[in-house]
Amino acid sequence: MEMLGKLYSLQNYVISNKLLDKAHLNHEVLSHNLANIETPGYKRSKVEETFDAKLQSLVDAKKVSQIKNLNPKAVVDFDSKPIRVDGNNVELDKELMHINQNALNYEFLTQSVSGTIKHLNTAIRGRI
Amino acid sequence: MSMNLIPGIQSTSSALTAEKLRLDMVAQNIANANTTQDLNGEVYKRKEVIFESSLKRAENGNVYKGVNVVEIRDDNSPGKKVYRPGHPHADERGMVQMPNVEVTKEMVDLITASRSYEANLTVVRTARQMAQQALRIGR
Repeated sequence: MEMLGKLYSLQNYVISNKLLDKAHLNHEVLSHNLANIETPGYKRSKVEETFDAKLQSLVDAKKVSQIKNLNPKAVVDFDSKPIRVDGNNVELDKELMHINQNALNYEFLTQSVSGTIKHLNTAIRGRI
Repeated sequence: MSMNLIPGIQSTSSALTAEKLRLDMVAQNIANANTTQDLNGEVYKRKEVIFESSLKRAENGNVYKGVNVVEIRDDNSPGKKVYRPGHPHADERGMVQMPNVEVTKEMVDLITASRSYEANLTVVRTARQMAQQALRIGR
């Protein structure tokens, strides 16, 4: 248990974990936007852009243990201009592009977590 | 727990349902483009689907549940009147009240709805891939 505790508090592992949380929320928000492409007056949401900066500052300050208290939040995006007369500001192509980008990001992160575990596995076995 | 495995699946599935209902309504409108009398003796009125976002504000952040169909509304704009003296639904001056369905408008709606449907299907595929990748962590 002690050793697994170490794994779960590894910097790589903790950061990837939070970034995966963010990517998950991001997909939820983006698919919600796409679902509401025809809803009159709907304003798109997005994941708070300051999340990455906050995470970065915690990493820089070497406060890895505090990262678990940091949670991504979604906010309404008032900055994008409405593209319909009713005020809806969801654009199909942009939303799909963001979704694909995010999915790729997610794939990278899952592989990165797997990599962390694989390294440990290699160390346990003592051979590749 | 399990509902969180596939990200955004609730939103996407609600959108698929809503867009399909819109396609159904378009089909009904086009089918009734020439219906001058319904069971109540009135001219057919174009049906319109009204969407509403179903964002829930929960204690720990927002819950994204997609889109709801709030109502199917009658479009009360006036339709054309045409001169058809022999028509059984013609008035004393020989004018027949036609439904307010414009087939060109319906076709535009049809294409928009089917494109939205396709886009949401793509997102289901993406979400499924994401879930599979999450399940492969550590392998």
